[in-house]
Amino acid sequence: MNIPKQPIQQRILKYTITVLIVAGSIWSASGLEITLEKILKAPEQIAILVGAMFPLDLSSEAIERILPKVAESLFIAWAGTVIGAIFSFPVAFLAANNVAVKYVSETTKQILNGIRAFPELILAFVFLPITGLGALTGTLAIGIHSIGTLGKLSSEVIEGIDEGPLEAIKSSGGSKINELIFGVVPQVMPTITSYWLYRFEINLRASAVLGVVGAGGVGAELINQLRFRDFPRAGTVLVATVVLVLTVDTISAAIRKRIIKGRSIKV
Amino acid sequence: MINIPKKPAPSLMVILGIPTSILFSYYCFFKVGFNLTDFKENLENRYIVTDPLFNPKWSWALENASEALIETIQIAILASIVGCFVALPLSFYASQTTNQNKFSFFLYKSFLNLVRTIPDLFWAMMFTVAVGLGPFAGVLALVMFSLAIMGKLLSETIDSIDPGPLEAAKSSGASHNQSVFTSALPQVLPNFTAYFLYIFELCIRASVILGLVGAGGVGRIIETQRIFLRFDRISPIIVLILVVVIFIEQFSVWLRRRIL
Repeated sequence: MNIPKQPIQQRILKYTITVLIVAGSIWSASGLEITLEKILKAPEQIAILVGAMFPLDLSSEAIERILPKVAESLFIAWAGTVIGAIFSFPVAFLAANNVAVKYVSETTKQILNGIRAFPELILAFVFLPITGLGALTGTLAIGIHSIGTLGKLSSEVIEGIDEGPLEAIKSSGGSKINELIFGVVPQVMPTITSYWLYRFEINLRASAVLGVVGAGGVGAELINQLRFRDFPRAGTVLVATVVLVLTVDTISAAIRKRIIKGRSIKV
Repeated sequence: MINIPKKPAPSLMVILGIPTSILFSYYCFFKVGFNLTDFKENLENRYIVTDPLFNPKWSWALENASEALIETIQIAILASIVGCFVALPLSFYASQTTNQNKFSFFLYKSFLNLVRTIPDLFWAMMFTVAVGLGPFAGVLALVMFSLAIMGKLLSETIDSIDPGPLEAAKSSGASHNQSVFTSALPQVLPNFTAYFLYIFELCIRASVILGLVGAGGVGRIIETQRIFLRFDRISPIIVLILVVVIFIEQFSVWLRRRIL
């Protein structure tokens, strides 16, 4: 039978990628001094740690300490998302190339890219000496990072709208402002709201981590318990975080689905 | 007069949801201690940070941080490769198109979901305790991180593949594994490559902060300087990281265009 051969270019590409991957891993593994011995010992060490975490520390003292911290992470994430949503919404219009002039949209996009480049954690410890240890620092860090990400996503939504309604408004005598309010906003609002919720899910994970530098939330609790070798309590912190994240993810995903698909209207 | 259809009344979710979310936002801002007058007062202290931040000590950073920066890149390379290739078989088990066994499908899916809920730095903290401080813990943490993302993205891609080739392979006598290997895998390989590059970018970003909990990389140097408020030494490191991140992103965008 005559089976056609793979074109030579594709084969070359395939081999280059394979070589790159193998060479990259060898270079990295040798640079990091990762030996076979270390790898073989790891599963056992991990099993010891996990074993030490169970049974979880469910004493009322532990719960009273941990639950407020977990809740604080939730508050930080939500407040940060609100800051991001409020400020990114007008900025997104400036960044969209079908609404703003080319010059303005290019500059705004570059500013948003710049904001996005800094991870929340780096923003957090830059703010720490100014706003002090605590939840406020984490909120600001998450809020500012969210302006960057939400601004980019929202502006892309605005760029993808259907121009028809805008023309209809223009042809019936509407001003530029009318076009934005009655033509653009109704089209983009569902998608942008669902992005806000999606960002909230991501921010919740980020705010859990922020405690590591002292910016509030559950992260500080975990790192402290691990340092004091109180593994059952660390396990409780971990399980509480997982439960919170799973719950929020499920609820938020359901709301997002409802926003995007809309409700069924009886005709 | 034209007969304009009535606008449907807002649903209960909208009536209750919008006020609730506004109230909850108020409560959150109250809880995190947001206070404009305090905030203005605090802003007057910004010189502690901004003065050194905008007077970077380049020579110090280049001398002390370049080695750690290479370590960071190595952590990201190794972790994204291992994580993605471990995720490759897992995602076939976590998709209903290629795994008809409901029970094992559920197990794999839940495992991937569970891994995804734990933030990357939490993994790093736990691995530093389990296997000791150093880059090995960082690699393990990012392996879990990339495993989770790749597992989710790829299993969802496998869900939406064309089942035709799978059936064709089966009807010509291939076993289940053979048919998956010859007709499902080639369909998702381009997506796999694209996701891999995307995850590699994420790993580069994530590996920067691993050092804050002692899991190796350039974060280790940031952490020691941060404690002494030496922002003049931190700011050039941050700029260096940004340059590397942007360079790698551009490279991966270019490569993705070539492949797809």
